[in-house]
Amino acid sequence: MTGWAIEARGLEKRFGPLRALGALDLSVPGGSALAVVGPNGAGKSTLLRLLAGLARPTAGTLQVGPPQRDRRRRRAGVGYLGHASLLYPALTARENLTFAGRLYGLPAPEARAAELLARHGLEAFADRRAGEFSRGMAQRVAIARALVHEPALVLLDEPFTGLDPDAADALAGRLAELRQAARTLVLVTHELARAADFADRVVVLRRGRLEVDVARGDGDTAGFAATLRAALGRPGGAP
Amino acid sequence: MNVLRAVLWKDLLAEWRSRDRAPAMVVFALLTVVVLRFSQPAGTPAGDALAAPGLLWVAYVFAAVLGMNRGFAQELENEALSGLALAPVDRGWIYLGKALSNLLLLALAQLSTAVFFAVVFDVDLAGVAAPFLGVALLGAVGLTAAGTLFAGIAVRTRFREVMLPLLLFPLLVPLLVPCVQATAGLLRDGSLPEGALELLAVYDGVFLIASFLLFEYVLDE
Repeated sequence: MTGWAIEARGLEKRFGPLRALGALDLSVPGGSALAVVGPNGAGKSTLLRLLAGLARPTAGTLQVGPPQRDRRRRRAGVGYLGHASLLYPALTARENLTFAGRLYGLPAPEARAAELLARHGLEAFADRRAGEFSRGMAQRVAIARALVHEPALVLLDEPFTGLDPDAADALAGRLAELRQAARTLVLVTHELARAADFADRVVVLRRGRLEVDVARGDGDTAGFAATLRAALGRPGGAP
Repeated sequence: MNVLRAVLWKDLLAEWRSRDRAPAMVVFALLTVVVLRFSQPAGTPAGDALAAPGLLWVAYVFAAVLGMNRGFAQELENEALSGLALAPVDRGWIYLGKALSNLLLLALAQLSTAVFFAVVFDVDLAGVAAPFLGVALLGAVGLTAAGTLFAGIAVRTRFREVMLPLLLFPLLVPLLVPCVQATAGLLRDGSLPEGALELLAVYDGVFLIASFLLFEYVLDE
């Protein structure tokens, strides 16, 4: 499966009088990795929810993946991790992943859950209830849940939050694998260094508007980070 | 159908582990029966067939609303509701899974309440057990068919605990009238009013089909 492209034109989202996202134009080719950075309240999470299909735009057009009328097919191609883990506290990690696999119609959800638990280093915690997990553990299971159906478009909102250094490195490795598999990745983060490391393009949102759009080009990560900092006018800090 | 089974399995497993709904529903229904029994004027015969059927269904409705509210409230924890909304399935099956879990828990509350009610109100339910179970089941299907849909609508509102009864109670009138009349007939002389069961079946069918189709939009933001 190749990654899905994203095409947004004049995308706007309002919550009553509040404009969370305004007149956003954004094209993301399939198989690329986009990082969205910006301060709190910039509209990053709203953008991700729109891309996931969890919210509807107030105005503008949004095309995610190939044109299709069936909303179920669009949902089938999207893996989403938001601020919350989407996990049921009363169910174990294994049961949560199995349930997610069943929702996505996988032929062997139990086997897929076991595979994900092993791949994400969660076997020792597989039969513990999600309600007993620390923030970092829940985040690791939530990331596995978002990838349970091997989506064409992976949307991750602050996926490194709560992870210890080893888990963060493991996630970075997993994201690299997804990139090699030509999945489209959209990562929301506050960390400029992480964005430069992961993405081949970084956009900065402020107050719902796209303020900076920098592509990696042929440069290395250090050069890309320097370009980003220069574009933001911040020598070393977050946007 | 697999999604229905998955949601039912998840709901019942979560309930077995947390015991969040069933005990509350049963206790609440039993308390309602006790309070309503003692609210009757002194000297009222225990088996007053005029009031008893209505009081029983009041207890059932209260228990159902409590259970259905909690059933969707648990989907708000960790935003699990978004996980359901993202699933690439016909959302009607998610609705049916949740409705069926609500029905099973309500049936449990109904059964225990009916036994307690028969003792407290001194009525003979055992003699009409089969038709009474039929009426109770048809009523429970209607309660959960409509209630699960409106619990899904109310869950994202600010005052969801109040919103569900506000939305639901007016729509329950066509269901509760034949339920109460049928129960009254059974307690009075063991007979069922003509057309009561048919009316219940039609109500159940209409709400099940309409809710199955409408639930696609209920899970949208």
